[in-house]
Amino acid sequence: MCVPDKNLVVIPAYNEQASLPGTIAALQSLPDSFELLVVNDGSTDDTSRLARELAGGSRLPLHVVDLPLNGGIGVAVQTGYLFAAQAGRFRYVIQFDADGQHDAQAILTLVEACEDRHLDLCLGSRFLDARPGVFRSTAFRRAGIRFLAWLIGVLGRTHVTDPTSGFRCAGPRAWRDFAQRYPDDYPEPESLYWCIRNRLRVGEVPVRMFERVGGRSSIRSLRSLYYMVKVTLAIAVDLLRPKEASQP
Amino acid sequence: MTAERLMLIGGVSAFLLTVYWVRSRRLRERYAIGWLTLATALLLCGVFPNAIMRVAEAAHLSYASAVLFAALTAIYCFAFLVTVSLTRQYRQSTRLLQELALLKHRLSELENPQAADVHEDPKTTERA
Repeated sequence: MCVPDKNLVVIPAYNEQASLPGTIAALQSLPDSFELLVVNDGSTDDTSRLARELAGGSRLPLHVVDLPLNGGIGVAVQTGYLFAAQAGRFRYVIQFDADGQHDAQAILTLVEACEDRHLDLCLGSRFLDARPGVFRSTAFRRAGIRFLAWLIGVLGRTHVTDPTSGFRCAGPRAWRDFAQRYPDDYPEPESLYWCIRNRLRVGEVPVRMFERVGGRSSIRSLRSLYYMVKVTLAIAVDLLRPKEASQP
Repeated sequence: MTAERLMLIGGVSAFLLTVYWVRSRRLRERYAIGWLTLATALLLCGVFPNAIMRVAEAAHLSYASAVLFAALTAIYCFAFLVTVSLTRQYRQSTRLLQELALLKHRLSELENPQAADVHEDPKTTERA
């Protein structure tokens, strides 16, 4: 068994053919210790073929895993954690959106924060960067995010500003457990609260986020309401569970 | 037609339907047990109509309300168990989906080692 010295960037992709080339190109500037994994979540467009083409020209190792059916964001991301668990050579696993919203340069900041602050999970927060003109989602979503941050803050006694952020770096203690259990849909706030409740070390760093280049968000219109209700219920029910984290 | 006769017919029909579906292997025995229990309860209510009357009197309900309450309870229990079963099956199928995708990826790496070698440092190809 080798010592884990690599980091894996997991890119869940559902119908992201428009934005995937730009996303992969942006990630090429990462150091050689990084590998990329595109988890094609049963896309109906050309995402799979395009990802394989991009793998041929990628400077960094780029793996493509095709889920035969659309399982949702949680299933796709967990597939990345399972990939890391089976490979056995990764230390940090970074979740990175395929739609061009995330800043590839900030990946190093996330990993460094995990290293320096001994974090098990580090979130990229779009609300810690106070510069004007930075994209921070719509007012309605911001209200929802504030509510979830408040809920997690009250129940977990931990201050977080961006609990819905899908830009996050998980250390071994977190992602090994995520490989075993991870929420199916809208997983970010629930998995964050799970970490806090199970006494994993959680932190945030400021990141820039951009407007999506292509594809569609999985959280739209009436689904937003379902999102809030489902996540609130999941967090409340998690309170009733016994502690589940593996020992460090 | 009386309510008792309806229950009798319903009980016999449910019994025969369940047996038919189990016989043709389209319904698992573990689920059939619940339906057969329900069919038996319906049959018993048809054969012994006074049983429901006594339950209704004890609960201070009218006959119709008691029947409705019993029916809703049965429907709730079955629907709830179905969603529990669906959740379990969802978890299982999700894991199968993921394992299938990862195995396909591993297989393609093994079938096409040149393509995998382009990207993989030989020192790190060892698997856990």
